[in-house]
Amino acid sequence: MRESQTPRVVYATLTLVLCFLLSDFRLVKDAPLPGKVEDSSDDVAKRSDLRFAALKAVLPQRGVVGYVGENGTDALGDYYLAQYALAPLVVDHSSDHELVVGNFPSGPGDTPEGLHLVRDFGDGIELFARKGGE
Amino acid sequence: MIVVAASLCMASGFAVLRLGWPGNSRFVAELLLKASLSIGFGLGIFSIIFFLSLVFHVSHLMLLDFAVFAVLLAANLVFSKRSTVHAAVIASESSRDALAPWVSRLIGGGFIFALVAALYSAILRLIAYPHGDGWDAFAIWNLRARFLFRGGEHWRDGFTTLLPGSHPDYPLLLPAAIAHFWRLLGSDSPMVPAVLGFLFTFCTVALLFSGLSTLRGRTAALLGGIALLTTPFFVELGTSQYADVPLGFFFLATIVLLNLHDDRDDKSTNTGLLALAGLSAIFAAWTKNEGLLFLVVVVLARVWVIVKKERPYGGISQIVPLLGAIAPIFLVIFYFKHSVATGSDIFASSNAIPHKLMDPGRYGAVLKWYGKGFLRFGNWFLIPGTVAMLVYYFVSEKETNRKSESGSGVAIFILTLVGYFAIYLITPYDIYWHLRFSLTRLFMQLWPSALFLFFRMVRLDPEQVAEEL
Repeated sequence: MRESQTPRVVYATLTLVLCFLLSDFRLVKDAPLPGKVEDSSDDVAKRSDLRFAALKAVLPQRGVVGYVGENGTDALGDYYLAQYALAPLVVDHSSDHELVVGNFPSGPGDTPEGLHLVRDFGDGIELFARKGGE
Repeated sequence: MIVVAASLCMASGFAVLRLGWPGNSRFVAELLLKASLSIGFGLGIFSIIFFLSLVFHVSHLMLLDFAVFAVLLAANLVFSKRSTVHAAVIASESSRDALAPWVSRLIGGGFIFALVAALYSAILRLIAYPHGDGWDAFAIWNLRARFLFRGGEHWRDGFTTLLPGSHPDYPLLLPAAIAHFWRLLGSDSPMVPAVLGFLFTFCTVALLFSGLSTLRGRTAALLGGIALLTTPFFVELGTSQYADVPLGFFFLATIVLLNLHDDRDDKSTNTGLLALAGLSAIFAAWTKNEGLLFLVVVVLARVWVIVKKERPYGGISQIVPLLGAIAPIFLVIFYFKHSVATGSDIFASSNAIPHKLMDPGRYGAVLKWYGKGFLRFGNWFLIPGTVAMLVYYFVSEKETNRKSESGSGVAIFILTLVGYFAIYLITPYDIYWHLRFSLTRLFMQLWPSALFLFFRMVRLDPEQVAEEL
C-alpha cells in the first residue's frame, strides 16, 4: 500500500501539469503575431477617435446628440465606437434631436426624414440637423 | 508623474494592508502576497478617492492623494503592532513540501514555461489591443472612464438612461481608477487601462501563488499558478480590459485573507485579516454588480461559521472587524446607486420574476449551460482544466482536515455560483442570449478562487501520504 500510493500521486501530479501545459499551445497560437501587432494596434482608434476627430471639433462639448447608422451585425459596434469617440457628449441612438450624427462606414447614407445634411466629413461621417432648426 | 502616481497608489494600498496585517508575520516570505494585495487595494483606494473628489468638487487630486496617504501612514504609526505572539499555524505550512527533487524541478520548470507563455500572449495582446479587445472595453468600462475624466463638472452626464447598453448602473472601481491616473497624467492615454488589465491579471496569479505558498506550500502554489496561467481565456479576458478579472482578483483576495485568518492560532485576538477580507469583499462590490452578491454571501458565510463554531461573545468580535471595514465603502456604493447610477436592468421587470422562477424549463436551460460551461469556459486545448482537476481529485489523496478549515471559502464559492444561477433564472433578457454572452466570464470570475480552494484541499506531498499510511 505504502509503495503503490506514492508513485500514484507523483504520476497523477505530473499528468495534471502536462494536461494544463497543453493549453499553452492554444494560448501562444491565438496570440497576435509579433510582426503584425502594429497593424491591429490602432483598430479601435481608427474606427472611433481618428474617424470622428473632425466631427468632434464642431460638435458642442457636452449635451445630447442623435445618431443614425447602418443596419447589420456591425451596426451596434459602430454606434458604441461613435459614443466612445465623442464622450462626454451623449450620443442617443435616435434621430429625434436637433443635431444628429450619421455613421455610414460602408458609404454615404440617405438623409433621414425631417433632417438635412449640414456637412459631410468623409469616411462615412455626416452631420445632420433638424429641418427648421439651426 | 506616472511613477509618482503609481508609487502613491501602491503605497496607499500597502499602508491599508499593514494596518490589518498581523504584527508577527514573516515579511520576506509574504512579500509577493503583500505586493499583489497592495496593488489591488491601492487601485481600489484610488478609485474611491477619485469618485469622492468628483462628488465633493476637489480639484487638487494629487494633494488629496498625498493627504490620504499621510492619514494612512499616521494610522500605521499610531496602531503599529509590537506583537510578541507567534506560532501561527501558517508559519509551519510552508515546510510541508516533500516531493522528490526531480519532481519539484519538473513542476517548477512547468511553472516557468507557463509564466513565459502567458507573458508572451499578454504583452502581445496589450500592444495589439491598446483600447481593449471586445465591446465591453469601449462600450462600458473605458467609456465610463472617459465620461468621468472628460466630463469635468458634468461627469454625471454619462449616467443616463439614453445609454442603456453602457450599463450606467455598473460600479466604478475600474473606470474611476483609470480616470484617476488620466487626471494625474493630463491625458486619456489608452495605455492606462491596458496596463491596469495586465496588472490585475498577473496580480491574480501572484496572489494565488503566494496565498497557496503561505498556506499550503510550494508545490500547491506552483500547481495553482500553472493551472491559472495555462487557462487561455483567463489571459485573454484579463488583457481585454473587462472588469471580470479584477473582480476575480478581489474574490480571491477575500477568500485567501479569510483562510489566512482561520489558519492562525491567535485568530480570536487577531482580527485585522478579517477587516482586510471585508475590505476586499467591498472592493469586489465596487467593481461589478456580481460583487454585491458576493459581499452578501461573504457576510452570510461568516455569520454561519461563527454561529457554528464560536460562542456569542467571540462571534461578535469576529464579525465587527469584517463589517467595520465594509461599512465606509458600502456608504459610497449606496450613494452611487441611489444618487448617480440608473436602475439595474436585471430587476427592471420584477413582475415577471415569480413566473420565471416557476418555469422548470429555465432551470433546465441554466443547468445545461452550467454543464457546458464547466467544460469550455477556459478555452482549453484538448483537455479541459476542470476535467483534469476532477480526475486528479479522485486519483490523489484528499486531506480531510483541510475541508473544514476551507469551509467558509467553499461555502462562499458555492453560494456565489447559486446566486449566479438565480440571476439567470430571473433575467429580463432572452435567457440563451444572456447565458451565451456572459456565463464564461462569470465562471472566470470564480476560477482563481476555485483553484485556490482546490489546491488547498488536495494532498500533494506523497511522502507525507506514505508516512501516514
